[in-house]
Amino acid sequence: MNENILSVKNLNMHYETISGNVSAVRNVSFDIKKGESFGLVGESGCGKTSVAMSLVQLQADNAVISEGSIKLDGKELIGLSESELRTVRWDGISIVFQGAMNAWNPVIKIGEQIREAIREHYPENTKAQNIEKITELFSMVGLDQNIMDRFPHELSGGMKQRAVIALALSCDPKLVIADEPTTALDVVIQDQILNEIKKVQDLLGLSLIYISHDIAVIAEMTTTMAVMYAGSIVEMGPTDEVFKNPKHAYTRLLLESTPSVVGDKKKLRSLDGEPPSLIGDIKGCTFSPRCPEPTDDCKNQTLEMKLIEISNGHFADICCVNCK
Amino acid sequence: MARYLINRALQMVLVFNIFLVFSYLLFNAMPGNAFQNLLLNPSLPPDAYEKTLELYGLNEPLFERLKLYIINFYKGDFGYSYIYYPKSPVELIAERLPRTLMLFSIVNIFAFYTGFLVGKILAWRRGSKSETWITITSVFSYTVFYPWFALIMLWFFGLKLGWLPIGKFLYPEKWYDAPFDSDVVFVNMIWFTVIVSLVQFLVYVFTRNIESLSSRRNLRFTSFLIILITSYFYWNTGEALVRKPYAADIAFHMILPVFTVTLLAFAGTALLTRTTMMEVLKEDYILTARAKGLSQKRIRDRHAARTALLPVVTSFIFTIVTIIDGSVLTEQIFSWPGMGQLILQAVLREDIPTAMATFSFLGIFALVAHFLADVSYAYLDPRIRIKSQG
Amino acid sequence: MDNKNTKNEKNIRKEIRKASINKNWTLFKQSKLGVIGLGIVVFFAFLAILQPLLFLTGVWEESVYDPVVGYESEKVTLLVVKCPQEYPTEQYETKNDCPAKGEVNSVVIFNPSVKVGDYYETSLQPAPPSSKHILGTDSLGRDIFSQLMEGSQVAFILGLLSATVGVALSTILGSIAAFFGGRVDAYLMRQSDLVLMLPFLPLLFIISAFVELQVWHLAVVLGVLGGLGGSVITIKSAALQVKVKPFVDSARITGGSRMRILFSHILPNVAPLALLFMVFSVTGAIASESVLSFLGLLNIDMSWGLMIYLSQTDGYIFSGMKYWWLILPAGLSVTFLAGGFYLVGRGLDEVFNPRLRQR
Repeated sequence: MNENILSVKNLNMHYETISGNVSAVRNVSFDIKKGESFGLVGESGCGKTSVAMSLVQLQADNAVISEGSIKLDGKELIGLSESELRTVRWDGISIVFQGAMNAWNPVIKIGEQIREAIREHYPENTKAQNIEKITELFSMVGLDQNIMDRFPHELSGGMKQRAVIALALSCDPKLVIADEPTTALDVVIQDQILNEIKKVQDLLGLSLIYISHDIAVIAEMTTTMAVMYAGSIVEMGPTDEVFKNPKHAYTRLLLESTPSVVGDKKKLRSLDGEPPSLIGDIKGCTFSPRCPEPTDDCKNQTLEMKLIEISNGHFADICCVNCK
Repeated sequence: MARYLINRALQMVLVFNIFLVFSYLLFNAMPGNAFQNLLLNPSLPPDAYEKTLELYGLNEPLFERLKLYIINFYKGDFGYSYIYYPKSPVELIAERLPRTLMLFSIVNIFAFYTGFLVGKILAWRRGSKSETWITITSVFSYTVFYPWFALIMLWFFGLKLGWLPIGKFLYPEKWYDAPFDSDVVFVNMIWFTVIVSLVQFLVYVFTRNIESLSSRRNLRFTSFLIILITSYFYWNTGEALVRKPYAADIAFHMILPVFTVTLLAFAGTALLTRTTMMEVLKEDYILTARAKGLSQKRIRDRHAARTALLPVVTSFIFTIVTIIDGSVLTEQIFSWPGMGQLILQAVLREDIPTAMATFSFLGIFALVAHFLADVSYAYLDPRIRIKSQG
Repeated sequence: MDNKNTKNEKNIRKEIRKASINKNWTLFKQSKLGVIGLGIVVFFAFLAILQPLLFLTGVWEESVYDPVVGYESEKVTLLVVKCPQEYPTEQYETKNDCPAKGEVNSVVIFNPSVKVGDYYETSLQPAPPSSKHILGTDSLGRDIFSQLMEGSQVAFILGLLSATVGVALSTILGSIAAFFGGRVDAYLMRQSDLVLMLPFLPLLFIISAFVELQVWHLAVVLGVLGGLGGSVITIKSAALQVKVKPFVDSARITGGSRMRILFSHILPNVAPLALLFMVFSVTGAIASESVLSFLGLLNIDMSWGLMIYLSQTDGYIFSGMKYWWLILPAGLSVTFLAGGFYLVGRGLDEVFNPRLRQR
């Protein structure tokens, strides 16, 4: 029945702060099939990480999921108790964090930190079994076995990142979320790491959510993608489709602002203004202030936002479907 | 590394010598001397006072005395106490030190352990109602006016309820027929406590590497039971059996001071732990630990508390330095005749050899403790450890 | 043109400063601990100021309410009884019941002409709380509440003075040690060692043998001892962390002299920690003064520690709750004011260290 490994419907999440409620995730819905790699792209602060955190229910203390459903392989995650969630974490969904440098506890050896995760979910394993598993994972990501006995600060950035990937795979999760895993690394390493991830994914048949603000990486890594702006998805569909035929004004501007090595030299378009404040009630299209060609409806912010299917599997915000 | 050690050692020696000279001058600069009281006695023959001073060398010029003292110090000759003649300061210290150590080691172990526990839990429960009130209570127990509080405790448990003795460390009546000194019993008790703590600690260290959590817990519990049973047998056979009632008497007298001081002392550690833990909890690796699906308890204890341990251990070592200093007040109030009282008496009554000996003892102690604190910090934080090796 | 710019600059700086003070205040208010602590401190400050006000406005007569020399005697008539040796008897259950209220034991009266069954008039000291004396009087007829307020003044002056001296000293020394490193650092660390080696209480005993310590003297002594000791080490490590920050390097590259870097860059960044230290030092200073007064070492007219000292030497402490007004107010005041400052320090900690905040 379910080829969807993950099914998110109408996810709404806000942060409670002194200045009011900040709506970080607004009506987000998407599905991911088994073995698919799904990309989530958008600028800083658009809500991608908030979505990721919500999936494993790791949001901050002052974050509240007000509405929505998250189903992992048919099982509903929202509303689960903390102890039930703990069994899902890492075993069902794991994360490769942004800034993986700091994901490691500085006073504990790498190997122990990975074994700890495995122990939690497979307590009957012996130490030898665990070490074997980790060795296997390490070779998959191109790390030497003796890394297990090292402390985090003894490793370079690239090594730490690879170790984080090994950590994320240690309990054979169904879904892996990679939250900007290569942002802090130089391009050479970035390339290597991306290749490792692809290799691993093919090898293990993983389902992957890839979050980035770098659209080039998304193009390379993902089969399906969604563009987020100000907390909601403005366009979604197969990666090729979206690249060939971007419908939303934001998506278009995003693509046009990326320099290309091939083709003619052209002037880069950049986007004026800033993302809107997400405090309080939000009506209409949040992108309209920056949209280069808003219609009157967009300007008056009276549209009720919905995603319309343009072609097979390709969705975009209602307003832009109507533009041009 | 070796260069640093040598440098540091040389510096410590230099500081210690300055300390010696400074203390000696300080004591001698105090008005009067140890034998003034002789002058109060009207029937004293007129030249007895001068003769006494001459006997103790107190009429010689200061510089000469200082030189002589330092030379003797390094020969190992610390003189004789002016008040407790003919006991030498070393004997006095040997007599009094175990009593203070016994009391304050127990206090510090309890206080440290409880404080760390409470602080850990407080930081974990940040923002809950109970956290605020427990923290405030800890603060007030930290700042409570100590002599006042101690006296109230004495009054309450000693007088009003009559449960515990009011002072001293033993009932003299019980010890009339004792075949040995209280010191022997004290030393016995101290060794016992030290060995038990050490064994417990070693068990903890060796079981750290066991993979399965449940078997780790079982092993530790079993070893604890074994220690308990062994202790029982120890105290009920042979020589220890004879000493048992006396040891029990001492232990009984220790309850109130230990309880009182621990109540105050634990708060400092608790508050420090709480602050450090709160900082640690915002670190990314805590988030990772949660994402891994680890239990709250495990995250708290294995990750957060472990890092918070560093400054707490450092402060613990510094606390040990101030054991004797802090004991001055406690021993006064509870009439516990230990090092603190010894120092106070020596200073008040200008017993220069004893004062110098005790101050030197404290001085060395403080220097070494500071050094150990630096070293242990480097050890506990592998980042510094590796750096200094490389 | 130049003047106008600098004037503008000054205005802008003022605005930024005001804004940041406001922001810090909002943050501080969020900390429950800090607010409670501040409340306590304000309360005691109020007490401290209240006393001279009461005298000035004539609400209180000095002759009666002065904490040191005031005197008010309440005359009371008591029935003389002789307390039996054994209990219980018809009249009394236990030893504590004799003498009962309104009675006095004949053994404490040294007047031979007074016999059992007579009525004996005497002044009631220490007097229990009444409408005239909210917290009663001590054994010399002095109003306790007034003493409490006087003690509050002493605590504030002494606490703040010694804390300021101490923190100023340790901040400057710590920053110098961090900044210059090498020999200067080693020297300062050994100096701290030297101070650490000396036992605190015995040292103060010695000092009090030389000089009669008054409040000012004590404040300076405490400040210097505190400032030269372990706090230098802590400030030094904080300053070290600032020293390695990029902006210090850029200041040096642009040609800033060492002194300027020290004062304009390092010190301001160490300031929050120093402020924290200061608040915690006040706690320690108040506690130290109380302990020293309690031991009778200080030449102070009146302080909280002295109040306890007097109760003890007069033998009232072990009387338990019977003379509670002699024992509880002073002890609780020390506890609460010291604790109040500590809580304020915790609140400030949350302002300066974002990781400690709740949100």
